[in-house]
Amino acid sequence: MVSLNEYIERSKKLIPKPGKPIKLALLSNFTIKWFEEVLRVLCSEHSIAAEVYTGGYNQYAQELINQDSKLHNFDPDMVFLLLDTDKFLGEQYQFPYRLNPAQRKTLIETEFNGLKKLFSKTGSIIIVNSFLIPSFSPMGILESKQEFGLKESIEYLNKLLRDYAKQNPKLFVYDFSSFAAKHGHKARASKLDFMADMKLDPELVPALCKEYMGYILPVASKSKKCLVLDLDNTLWGGIIGEDGLEGIKLGPEKEGLPFLEFQKRILALFERGVILAINSKNNSEDALNAIRNHPYMVLKEEHFASMRINWNDKVSNMKEIAKEINIGLDTLVFLDDDKLNRSLIREMLPEVTVVDLPEDVSKYPELIEELNQFNSLQITKEDLNKGKLYAQQRKRNVFEKSSSNIEDFINKLNMEIKVSRANKFNIPRISQLTQKTNQFNMTTKRYLEEQIKELANSEDHLVLCCDVKDRFGDNGITGVIIIEKQKSAWLIDTFLLSCRIIGRQVEDTLINYLLRLARQSGVKTLKAQFIPTKKNAPASQFYKSFGFRLAEENSKMQLWELSTDTEPRFNKNLKLMEE
Amino acid sequence: MNKIQEIIARVMGIKEVKEDASPETIEAWDSFNQIMLVSELETGFGINFTMDDIQKLGSYKQIKSLLESKGVFK
Repeated sequence: MVSLNEYIERSKKLIPKPGKPIKLALLSNFTIKWFEEVLRVLCSEHSIAAEVYTGGYNQYAQELINQDSKLHNFDPDMVFLLLDTDKFLGEQYQFPYRLNPAQRKTLIETEFNGLKKLFSKTGSIIIVNSFLIPSFSPMGILESKQEFGLKESIEYLNKLLRDYAKQNPKLFVYDFSSFAAKHGHKARASKLDFMADMKLDPELVPALCKEYMGYILPVASKSKKCLVLDLDNTLWGGIIGEDGLEGIKLGPEKEGLPFLEFQKRILALFERGVILAINSKNNSEDALNAIRNHPYMVLKEEHFASMRINWNDKVSNMKEIAKEINIGLDTLVFLDDDKLNRSLIREMLPEVTVVDLPEDVSKYPELIEELNQFNSLQITKEDLNKGKLYAQQRKRNVFEKSSSNIEDFINKLNMEIKVSRANKFNIPRISQLTQKTNQFNMTTKRYLEEQIKELANSEDHLVLCCDVKDRFGDNGITGVIIIEKQKSAWLIDTFLLSCRIIGRQVEDTLINYLLRLARQSGVKTLKAQFIPTKKNAPASQFYKSFGFRLAEENSKMQLWELSTDTEPRFNKNLKLMEE
Repeated sequence: MNKIQEIIARVMGIKEVKEDASPETIEAWDSFNQIMLVSELETGFGINFTMDDIQKLGSYKQIKSLLESKGVFK
C-alpha cells in the first residue's frame, strides 16, 4: 500500500503526459484535500494527462449554479460530487423525528429535486457518492419500526438517485456505503471532522481515488480489455509438470479453495465481456490436460481467446497474444505469481499493466474484486448476447434469493416442461446428456447417438426428453427418460436431469407424467433402477421420497417399484405439455 | 534525526528539523499539514491522539513530550 504522503511526494515529481488532458473536478460540502495530488499520480500511472480542480470549501451548489464559476471556466470532463449526509440533510438528519413521516418524505424528495437541478447545470459526466446511512438512530432499537424513518429516508434518497442515474447515461452513483463497509469508521473521521470539517480520514484518500479511477479509465479510453494469466501457482496451486493432475491444488476444500474462488471471480469478469488469455511457461500437453480434465477447473479452453503455453519467453508470448486477439498491448493486464516475470514484463513492455499477486493465496480472490481497470461506461449489446444463458441463470438466482422460500420461487417461475419423443433433431442432445450428466442421473448409463436411435426405433423402449422453459428463458433440452417396456411393468432404464434444472420439482412432474402414461397403457407397475456412483448422491433419495418401494438391493444397484394407481404428487404450477 | 523529526521532515517537505521546529519556523507547517502530521504520527507510532492531545502538537518539542508521556517515545 502506497501511503498518502508518498503520493504527495510523487505528485511533485510528475512529468506531464502528452496529449489533451482529461479535466477532473471535485466538489463537496466538506473539506477535501490531497485528492488532486493522488488523482494526478494515478492518472499518470495509466499514461493519462490530467488536470484536477478542487472546488471551494462547501461551494458545490454555487459552483454548479453560477455559470461564471471557476468550475465552469475549468470546463471539466468529469465532476466528482462528495456529499456528507449529515451536512446535506442538516436538521432532518439530526432531529428526524421532529417531523412526521409525510414531511420526512417530502423533504427527501425536495432535496432530490434540488440535486437534479444541480446536475442539469453541467454537461459533464457526474459521479456522485451515495449518501452514507448512519449507524445510529435517536430511536434506538425502534428505528426499523419507524414509518419512513431516518435510515429508510436516506435509503430512499439513494434509490431516487440510482433510478435517476439509470435513465441518465452521464450520471453515475458511486456506492459509498460499500466503501465505508470496507474501510470502516475512518470513512467518517470524527476527530479531523471536528478540527477541519474533514469527513474522510486522509489515509483513505488514495483508496477512494482508486475507486474513482474505475470511472476515469473508460472516459479516457484507457480501460483494459484482456486479462492475461499465468497457470502454475496462479490458476492452481503447485506446478502441473511436477505435481501432476491429481497433485495440483484446486478444488472445494482448504488449500484448493482460494484457487477455485479466484477462477470463479475471473469467470465472472469473462461473463461481462473481459477477454481472457494464458501466458505460461509449461509443457503445453500437461497444462491442457489440466485445463480440459481437472474436475474443478472453472476456466475452460472455450473461455480463452489466446493461449501461449510453451517455453518461449513471456515477453514474446505477450506480444503474440496482443497480435492474435488484435488489441493493443496497453489493454492487457498481466497476472503472474512470479516476481521475476512481472518485473521482466514491466521493464520490457511498460504498456502492459502488471498486477502484483499477493504472497498469501487466500488474498487472490479479493485481488480480482479490486481490479477496476475493465470498466466500461455501458455494457454493449454484444457483451450481453455473449453471456445470454449466464445472464438468465443470474436472474434466476436473484429471483430465488428474493423469494420467501423454494416453493414460492418455483411457483412464480412459470415453468413449462415440454416432453418429446426422441427424433432426429433431439437425438444428438439426448446422447450428449447421457454422456455428460453425473449428478441427477439414476443409472449413469452412457449411450452413443447410434444406440439412442436404436432404442428409439425399438418396439419395447420409449425414449423421451424434456425442454424446460421459465420466465427467464429457455434452458433447452435438459432431461432424458428411457423406458424399457417389460411384460407387466415399465422399467426406468435412464432418468437424468441437467444440473441447471435440478431442485425445481421437474423430476416430480416427470415421474407423475410417466405414471399416467403407464396407467393409460394398462401397465400396473413402474420399476426404477438406481445405480450409485461417486457423483450421483443428489439423486439417491429421490425414488424413496416419491414413495417407491425398495424391491431388490445389492452392492451395485437398487430396484424400486411403484404402483401406477398411486395418487401422484403434483405441483400444478408446473405446466407439462406433450409434443 | 529521530523518528519524530523524520516524520515532520517528510510531511513538511524539508530536509532538516531542528529543536525549535514549529509553525513559526517552518513555512510549510500550515493547518492542512498539521492534519497530515497528526495522521502520520498516529500511523508511525501506532497510537491514536485525542482531541486534547492534538491541541498539544504545536511544535517539535511539544510532540516529543506528548509522545514521551504516552510512553511510546524515549
